[in-house]
Amino acid sequence: MTSHIPTVARKEFEDAGRSKLLWALIGLLVGIVAVGYTAIWYVDGDASAAEVLGFLGFPLQTIVPIAALIAGYMAVVGERRSGSIKLLLGLPPNRTDVVFGKLLGRMAVVGTAVGLAFLVALVLGAVFFGSVPFVDWVGFALITLLFGVAFAGLAVGVSAGVSTRGKSMALVVGIYMLFVALWELVTAGPYYLLYDEGPPVEAETWYLALEQLNPMSAYTTLASNAIEGSVYPFTFQYGLEDFEASQMTPAERFAGDAPFYLQDWFGVVVLLFWVVVPVAIGYYRFEKTDL
Amino acid sequence: MAAIDTTGLTKRYGQLTAVDDLDLTVEEGEVFGFLGPNGAGKSTTINMLLDFARPTAGSATVLGYDIRDEADAISPRVGVLPEGFDIYPRLSGRRHIEFAIETKAADDDPAVLLDRVGLSAEDAARPAGDYSKGMRQRLATGMALVGDPDLLIMDEPSSGLDPHGIREMQELVRTEAERGTTVFFSSHILEHVEAVCDRVGVLNEGALVAVDTIEGLRESIGGGATMELTLADSADPGADVVDSIAGVSGVTASGRTLECTITDPAAKAGVVTALDDAGVTIRDMRIEDVSLESLFTTLTNGEGQTETETGSARETATASAMESEVAE
Repeated sequence: MTSHIPTVARKEFEDAGRSKLLWALIGLLVGIVAVGYTAIWYVDGDASAAEVLGFLGFPLQTIVPIAALIAGYMAVVGERRSGSIKLLLGLPPNRTDVVFGKLLGRMAVVGTAVGLAFLVALVLGAVFFGSVPFVDWVGFALITLLFGVAFAGLAVGVSAGVSTRGKSMALVVGIYMLFVALWELVTAGPYYLLYDEGPPVEAETWYLALEQLNPMSAYTTLASNAIEGSVYPFTFQYGLEDFEASQMTPAERFAGDAPFYLQDWFGVVVLLFWVVVPVAIGYYRFEKTDL
Repeated sequence: MAAIDTTGLTKRYGQLTAVDDLDLTVEEGEVFGFLGPNGAGKSTTINMLLDFARPTAGSATVLGYDIRDEADAISPRVGVLPEGFDIYPRLSGRRHIEFAIETKAADDDPAVLLDRVGLSAEDAARPAGDYSKGMRQRLATGMALVGDPDLLIMDEPSSGLDPHGIREMQELVRTEAERGTTVFFSSHILEHVEAVCDRVGVLNEGALVAVDTIEGLRESIGGGATMELTLADSADPGADVVDSIAGVSGVTASGRTLECTITDPAAKAGVVTALDDAGVTIRDMRIEDVSLESLFTTLTNGEGQTETETGSARETATASAMESEVAE
């Protein structure tokens, strides 16, 4: 059987490309880059383009996942509710083609948005600050691309696994809140209960592994390796964990040589994890369900 | 090989049985009307055939392929007009057709298909989100025709269409049937089915209550007319006269009114002549055609448990025709 995934993905990309919401998100991403660069140039014209690139890490870690989640959370369930999925599945594409076609299509959309934002950053960096930090730029762009694509995948996975738009939105918002606002409570909270103290810098290995699992910190850890300076994760702090510790990567906190799963590069695996698991669950549920 | 063949096909949603042990065969090349009131289980059946919903029990094949194990072999050979579908509001009508062509690896010309379903080039260039319900229906029909399918499955194809659109749809079904395409379509409105179908199956509360040709159904309701004669005197002597006429299946006399159930249209004149010959004076006469509609209503009304066997269908149909007469 020939696969219809590329055909579905292309239609999906084309359809999303006509969505006003999506263009608003792209505008927002590009706008933040443009405004940020202009502002920094205005305040400190002597900064290097590489330093300014690092500045992008903070807004991007907030905007990219939100944009990607918005781009993806309706992917499958939206068609289920409107009924267009019947038109689609009445044609040769089957459910597998639909889920993976949509996954690729929405990833491509988010990838395009991130790509455009970085293109603007490259041009403005050259214009305002007179240099092109190409290696940093490529590395940072690829990491951000993976970050955005991971969240798009997560959202598409959720959208495949639920039966209503409301559930999809609730789950997606809930997951985002978990990463950004509740992570410390969920990880450092139990730690506190178990050991009668908040996690210190050199915390237990299981805790560091858990920390590693947060895609937000996976992104900032990876990004810090690609650019000059550091990108710190933007997450809510409850004071359960030492502030200094919360700014360090799991590898830095581990006494001695960190095992592979605590090393910085493992963030790539973490981001992929957040695509594969939700998509697998969503796909499994979508395969079984009655439309 | 049957185009559609179901064996004990059943779908339950919790306590509710939507489709109950359905055995249905649609032969290749025929136009089959799948009739039933809303909620009878027509769409659920079609959804199972298309693998949108999974049977609780039983099995089915479409074009000889199992609906569960070989679903991927079915969709390229079938054109589907689903019920409760929507289009992609941001994509043009033409892009919809092109997409269907891509997925079916067909070599159709989008312009030809759009023209067949009555969408102009200007309409086709617009985003389908601007379309009326009828235009969406036309567009989806166009998509269903892509790749010259062996079987067309249309769920309520006339919904959202005006009378003119319905005639065009019927014309299209006829054309497709002439090309050798098997057409299976559902409707809750008998007259939409009547005009084009070779056979109809009537579904009620998830179960088939009748499967027959339109002619067969007509026969089963007895030639299709009742005569009501108002006589000058008591109708009882007249009843004896009329009862012996061939083509009259039943007579009831009440007061001066004589009611005859006619199975052969030619018998009507015979009734009048016989009465006249016997010296009975006819004051007035009313002839009411029994429509398939009344049979349909009987088959699908409340009790619904009518046997599929022709004899009892005749009785119920006649009875209901009489009831409706009385009501008037």
